[in-house]
Amino acid sequence: MSTTRLAGVLAFLLGVFVLVPLFINLTGRWDFYYTLTSVALLSVAAAGVWLTFYIGRINIGQGAYALTGGYVSAILITQYGVSFWLTLPLAGLFCAAVSVLIGLPILRLRGVYFAMVTLVLTEVARLTALALPVTNGAKGITSIPLPGELSLFGLTIIPDFSTLGNPKLAFYLMATVLMVLTYLVLWRIVNSRLGHLCRSLQQNEELSASIGVNTAMLRVLAYAISSFFGGLAGAIFVAISQSIYPSSFVVQDSVNFMLYCFLGGLGYVFGPMLGTLLLYFGWDLLSIAKEYQLLIYSGALIALMLVLPNGVLSLLDKKGGRK
Amino acid sequence: MEQILANGLYLGAQYALIALGLTLIFSLMNVLNFAHGQMYVFGGFVTYTVVAQLGLPFIVGLIASAVVLAVMGALIEKFLFRPVIRKSKRDESTMLLAAGIAFFLDAVILLLFGEKQRGVPKIVNGVLNWDMRIIMPYDRILIAVLAVALIVGFILFMQYSRTGRAMRALAQDRMAAQLMGVDVDRYSMIGFALGAMLAGLVGGLLVTITGINLGMGGPTSVKAFLMIMIGGAGVISGAIAGGFILGMMESVGLTVLAAYGDITYLVIFASLMVFLAIRPQGLMGKPWG
Amino acid sequence: MTPILQIKGVTKRYGGLTANNDITFDVAPQEILSVIGPNGAGKSTLFKQIAGFVTPTTGEVIYKGTKISGLPPHKVARMGVVRTFQETTIFKSMTVRENVIVSHHLRSKASLLGFFFGSAQAKADEAEFGKSADDIIDFLGLQAIRNETASNLPQGHLRALGMAIGLATHPDVILLDEPFAGMNHDETMRMVALVRRLRDERGLTVLLVEHDMPAVMKISDRIVCINFGEKIAEGSPAEIQANPRVIEAYLGSEDAAIGM
Repeated sequence: MSTTRLAGVLAFLLGVFVLVPLFINLTGRWDFYYTLTSVALLSVAAAGVWLTFYIGRINIGQGAYALTGGYVSAILITQYGVSFWLTLPLAGLFCAAVSVLIGLPILRLRGVYFAMVTLVLTEVARLTALALPVTNGAKGITSIPLPGELSLFGLTIIPDFSTLGNPKLAFYLMATVLMVLTYLVLWRIVNSRLGHLCRSLQQNEELSASIGVNTAMLRVLAYAISSFFGGLAGAIFVAISQSIYPSSFVVQDSVNFMLYCFLGGLGYVFGPMLGTLLLYFGWDLLSIAKEYQLLIYSGALIALMLVLPNGVLSLLDKKGGRK
Repeated sequence: MEQILANGLYLGAQYALIALGLTLIFSLMNVLNFAHGQMYVFGGFVTYTVVAQLGLPFIVGLIASAVVLAVMGALIEKFLFRPVIRKSKRDESTMLLAAGIAFFLDAVILLLFGEKQRGVPKIVNGVLNWDMRIIMPYDRILIAVLAVALIVGFILFMQYSRTGRAMRALAQDRMAAQLMGVDVDRYSMIGFALGAMLAGLVGGLLVTITGINLGMGGPTSVKAFLMIMIGGAGVISGAIAGGFILGMMESVGLTVLAAYGDITYLVIFASLMVFLAIRPQGLMGKPWG
Repeated sequence: MTPILQIKGVTKRYGGLTANNDITFDVAPQEILSVIGPNGAGKSTLFKQIAGFVTPTTGEVIYKGTKISGLPPHKVARMGVVRTFQETTIFKSMTVRENVIVSHHLRSKASLLGFFFGSAQAKADEAEFGKSADDIIDFLGLQAIRNETASNLPQGHLRALGMAIGLATHPDVILLDEPFAGMNHDETMRMVALVRRLRDERGLTVLLVEHDMPAVMKISDRIVCINFGEKIAEGSPAEIQANPRVIEAYLGSEDAAIGM
């Protein structure tokens, strides 16, 4: 790892874990915690969408997995008394398993066809949540307890959130740690052989098969990892809002995940993180514009598209930088 | 039974018209127009404004919807899609643009027309009652007939007019069409305008029956995607088939599955997944359109 | 000598259309064998069936005594039979070297998880891929464009890169789809020399589909001619040139002439 890159990573970590809490403490803008926690979680889900883009598939179905992950966590906590911390990986794994079943047939589709099917998938998830008895229909699942204590061999690693004076900060730290881990994994995938193979798939699936890549398996694997991230993010969202409804993640959210990836830049690992930050924060800041919020937001989106059709991070390319 | 069929045909005619516009844009430019539903809503509001607020006849409202949306479509193609398609590395970038336009139209609709549900007075009164087997208000019949007439008109236009033929050539093979001397930019613009116009016309037709509101844009787009997936994206006959099939499925589902709660759409989606797993290109599409 | 590849009665029908009808021939180890025939004779379909992209309706393809027809392409490639494509046979937004390295997939001993965590085996694999890729790049004379992005390359280099990708899988049998198409005389002669070296220096068995008759006559040990999906002749270049059925097949079609 080059020194500049190392310095960049350290600066990022310093900013996220020291400067932001400091800034919020000084200004008293506690609401920023909620915004930034959301950004961190959304960027985890967006990281998954980005990975499907990386194998050449337009994924507009991440909302389905976020919803599924949320419900899995909520049901396990409220009905089976499972610890929140255990439901996190379970929610991710459940989503990954579901995505393997769904992915096997639909990943054969390409381009716009795959995009449309995934879009429909979000709607399927919502309708399923409405129809199933275990999800409690439109009433959803509410008053889910805050995350409890996580201890290992009697040693408390994470205290019970309900005993904390400031659960907002705790959620912020949890979400950002998860985000850092997610992007570490994503970065590693992209820069290891797995990523190279994904790129080969993105660029020429037939050739990829003829050099001996099991393309069907690789596609499903990437999609499963993607859905794992989606489920994880969904489960934490539920922990924060302490409730989940069939409409907690809808088509709009799925489209947004895709937009985050596009805006940041599909060729850059940290594109979805930047895209999420810009769009979510931008939207939040624009709330001062009241009824013109959506107009300005979408106008800016279109303008960005015209100026930088390959994403914000493509600015770096002109200076000769790489991802 | 007859009632279900009649409802299905009525729904199908409008759905087919929506899907036609979407598939036309897709086949010409390989753009999945996320804003299609919003264009439909916009068309509805234009008719509402002309008919309910200015007090002009319905047909004037319908024409106004068509003209406004056609101009809007042409401008969107020329100033937004064309430059982005030219500059971007990946075709998918147009999806972001389309989604941005969908948001933008939502915002414009909100500012111009507000969030209230709007409708216009019935254009014809009375109900057809055929021996209690089919009961259908006359205005619905009129709208369905108009929709079918528009579909037929559109097919004839695509089949026999010079412009229609040029667009079909373009849809089949962009490169070859260019070599044959088809002005690609011009016909892309006309095609987009035509697609938007169709969306606007359906909006204008339906505002007389179901009314229109801001929230209808997104779901309408999703339904339109469903239809062209069923029929095969980029194929005119596929869009029409997809529209009627979805209309029929909805009509049958709402009656047959009513006992099990609101699961019609869940069943439709699930069967679509299975169908696409077997036949990924839809009923009439080319593989990987 | 025992054949390395046997095509046994391969037939492919699409609906009512017969693309290949009962085609049978053997390929000896380290042989350069060309499949020729007028446009639409079914040559590409035959190649696709050998490489596993299409399953024969009846008949089979035997490689070193094992049936490979019906296996998916990545399994066929794993066994040592690799096809290069006619046109854009490359990963276009990777550099030349990245293209060749990624194509070493079959050589990897480490698992994907091993690569993810950077295990010792994975590191050894990566080092080996790099070395082998450089080796192949040198072999094909692509040193100067090693770090160019593939989409910026001219046609001639693309063809060579396609071959490099094929070589990276370390096949025993390589299927070349029209390697001389669109090349001028000098380029063709260079490519002919290269294909020879594939066999002489790397010990490959080469199967090729080609239209350029002078090149085919020059390069092939044996030639199989198909017309309307059926094999009409098989033999040495001299025998094929003298075969009345071949001449008839080519005279009957308007766009190719047999070179003498």
